[in-house]
Amino acid sequence: MTKSVVNVENVQKIFGKKSENQYKALDNVSFTIKEGEFVGIMGPSGAGKTTLLNVVSTLDKATSGKIEIAGQDITDMKQNALADFRSEQLGFIFQDFNLLENLTVYENIALPLSLQGFSSKKIKPLVTQVAEKLGIKSILPKYPVTISGGQKQRAAAARALVHEPAIILADEPTGALDSKNAHSLMKTMEHLNQYHDVSIMLVTHDPLSASYCERILFIQDGTLYKEITKSGDQQQFHQQILNVLAELTSIQSS
Amino acid sequence: MLVKLLSGSMKKMWKDYLVLLFGLTISIAIFYMFETLAQNKAFLEANALISSIVFVFHVGTFILGLVTIFYIFYATSFVLSLRQKELGMYMTLGAKKGKVTQMMFLETLVIGIISLIIGLIVGVGLSEGIARLLMARLDFSGEGFHALYQSSLWTTVIFYMILFLLTAIVNAIRIARKSVLELLHADQIADNKVIKGWKTFVGTLFAIVLIAVGYFAMINMGELAHAGVIIATATVTPGTYFFFMAMLPFIIKRIKGIRTINEKGLNAFTYAQLDFRVSQLSKVLGTVAMLIALGLGAMTAGLSFYHNTEIQSSMMHAYDVKVLEPTDKELTEMENWEFEERNLYSYRVTDEGVYFSKDELQTNPPVIKEITGNLDELTKETRLEDDLTAPVYTTDETDNAELMPEQWHTALRSELMANFYIFGDRALYILDQEKFEAINADTQTVFVGKVENFIDHANTLEEIDERHHQLAVKYTGEEPTMSGSKYEDYISLKSIANGTIFMGMFLGVAFLMMMASVLMFKLLSSATVDIDRYQMLRKIGVRHAKLKKSIYKELFLVFLFPGLIGLVHVLIGMEMFSFILIEPYTKIWLPISMFLVIYGLYYLLTVKMYQRIVLPKN
Ligand SMILES: Nc1ncnc2c1ncn2[C@@H]1O[C@H](COP(=O)(O)OP(=O)(O)OP(=O)(O)O)[C@@H](O)[C@H]1O
Ligand SMILES: [Mg+2]
Repeated sequence: MTKSVVNVENVQKIFGKKSENQYKALDNVSFTIKEGEFVGIMGPSGAGKTTLLNVVSTLDKATSGKIEIAGQDITDMKQNALADFRSEQLGFIFQDFNLLENLTVYENIALPLSLQGFSSKKIKPLVTQVAEKLGIKSILPKYPVTISGGQKQRAAAARALVHEPAIILADEPTGALDSKNAHSLMKTMEHLNQYHDVSIMLVTHDPLSASYCERILFIQDGTLYKEITKSGDQQQFHQQILNVLAELTSIQSS
Repeated sequence: MLVKLLSGSMKKMWKDYLVLLFGLTISIAIFYMFETLAQNKAFLEANALISSIVFVFHVGTFILGLVTIFYIFYATSFVLSLRQKELGMYMTLGAKKGKVTQMMFLETLVIGIISLIIGLIVGVGLSEGIARLLMARLDFSGEGFHALYQSSLWTTVIFYMILFLLTAIVNAIRIARKSVLELLHADQIADNKVIKGWKTFVGTLFAIVLIAVGYFAMINMGELAHAGVIIATATVTPGTYFFFMAMLPFIIKRIKGIRTINEKGLNAFTYAQLDFRVSQLSKVLGTVAMLIALGLGAMTAGLSFYHNTEIQSSMMHAYDVKVLEPTDKELTEMENWEFEERNLYSYRVTDEGVYFSKDELQTNPPVIKEITGNLDELTKETRLEDDLTAPVYTTDETDNAELMPEQWHTALRSELMANFYIFGDRALYILDQEKFEAINADTQTVFVGKVENFIDHANTLEEIDERHHQLAVKYTGEEPTMSGSKYEDYISLKSIANGTIFMGMFLGVAFLMMMASVLMFKLLSSATVDIDRYQMLRKIGVRHAKLKKSIYKELFLVFLFPGLIGLVHVLIGMEMFSFILIEPYTKIWLPISMFLVIYGLYYLLTVKMYQRIVLPKN
């Protein structure tokens, strides 16, 4: 049996202090992601997807419940260990504000490698390689201000992929991309997943992007609503996703 | 409507506006502080040892004015950076460009006026407080100094009103020139200009030539006089700014260009932080360097005048401690002092004369200070030789005996205190043992000695001087104005130099305070943007300690360059005083190491503060 990379048990996340009006963004969520799995998270806006990702990625603390990543309970990890863990094991693509605008695209992508003490001789080919895959090689020397939103998103993806982390956490990475670029980004992720055993947790609104996943968790109002697993080909899975989404919409409108 | 929007957004960003107000207020307060001295001609002329002090202050006003212009333009551009995104948003919602431009103009002006009012109040308070503190410390009455000085008030108001009007216009024009999109994305745009090689070269050349000419003028201040001061001002000030505008971006770019350095750990980010705002940074650093030069220069010069009084008082006295007829209490007290040399001589006093024993003087000949006539070393110490052959020497020309050699006369008068103040017009004699014993009077003693630092014993020396005054009453019947001791000379020289020392310290404190506020402003004004960046870095897993280190490094470079340049300016600049001070470099390590310690502590404080702002606690 394969080990689980992410193990979430009864996680709750409540925003706001006791005295203020509180908001329960996650309520009793439990699930596992196995090593090498490609899992999608879907759900309507405000459902708690980003919150879940933040809690799993150690960026935010859960109010209660247990979270294990790569066999380690992150709820008792020390600060430095958490930081090292993030820089070595996790790759991030955030929904907003991804790149440091005072660094060039190249420097942004190189950052995780620099942080792990790679020599600059090794850094260059790795950065070039991943940039080539994502079609952003020509913009490497540019500053983020001067590139398009989609290019920014791909640069962020490149930074998340470059050090081949154990798990990539991506929040709407294809949000700003046209279908061709979305496709190439998803292909890269799929490739990493299949040939490099990188586990992926992907939040997305886009059913087509989601159809690259092996399994999808649907979240509604902070709770796990449904889970589907790919059984046939991508086309069929796409259809399956659309069905669940339709279901969700009808619940919401009723 | 317009005013409503304006005050509304001011409320939202009150912290940033507070930072801006703080920066402007301190600048105004310091400028005013400087002017309270600069415009008070009567005070300056009555209290300074420097003959052309008013001229020096004119030059100072000019430099401070220039530095202030740079700083105010930098500081007010902060208003623009705070507001342009929001103004861009209004424009997308249909606000007219004219309105937005007008808003920017008004806002800059209003902030200027508010800070002018607060700044003047703070300025008066600071002048009063610091002046009082220094006067108490220096025992300086400081008559004629006014913390609230009308003409200085007006100069400050007029100078800053013009500056704020200009900066308001510049801000308005800059807003008017930008497109809506540029405004909306303003916070992301790096002022990361590509620097052309030849520009760097020309700029650097300019900086080096200007500073070299300035240094030459300062070193040759003796011959150049007023022209030298003007040349030095007109070259060193722009030279310093050129240095930071041309050299600094070049150096940072170079470091960033070395991939093995840049791609190590967080270095890429650290240097990018510097590189990103380098043109703003060069204005700040130029200003800081100049303020360090002015502040540390003023303090060092002030302290040099202080040490100068020590040197001056040593010029005419070979012995630090001279005690006539020492009491038991004084002798026990002096037992604990470490003497480099000490002697005891006997004398007898009659109504006609003061008599010393030749034998004693021959066995332990005293040292005296002699005037050399050489400008490099005005006096030198000479030990007298035992060349007294006659049985009697006297200073009484009507006497038939041998006239006392000039050197021995000096020894008795200056070093053994057989002077007019104490003994009136008694003649002095050196007698052989037989004749000395024949004098019908009690034998008295005079103690002389050299110590490492006579000011350490100020209290005792003062008491001894007082007793000498009583002794004089005993011998002459009236109390003298002075007794001829080294300590007394030192005190009276000091009271003459006090005014100058006061000015040096007052300005030193003022300039260094402004320097600190400029650095603080640079820091706080970039904090808002940096919070996001550091948060991002934390998210991708940069250790807390690494982020801290990056801040240490970034700020170290910000502190290092202006500190170095300012220091070199001061070291060379002290040459200017070599024609008024005997040894301008004596004890220069004292103010400099004091400065380095304070500057170092300020650096640490700044780092800690910045870490608190941009990094989360825990
Ligand atoms: N820091 C916070 N403080 C208070 N409430 C928050 C905070 N962050 C998120 N929320 C609330 O929690 C809920 C879930 O937010 P979350 O960002 O996880 O949504 P999401 O599923 O990612 O939505 P979207 O698809 O629009 O990105 C929202 O209702 C939001 O208002
Ligand atoms: Mg979200």
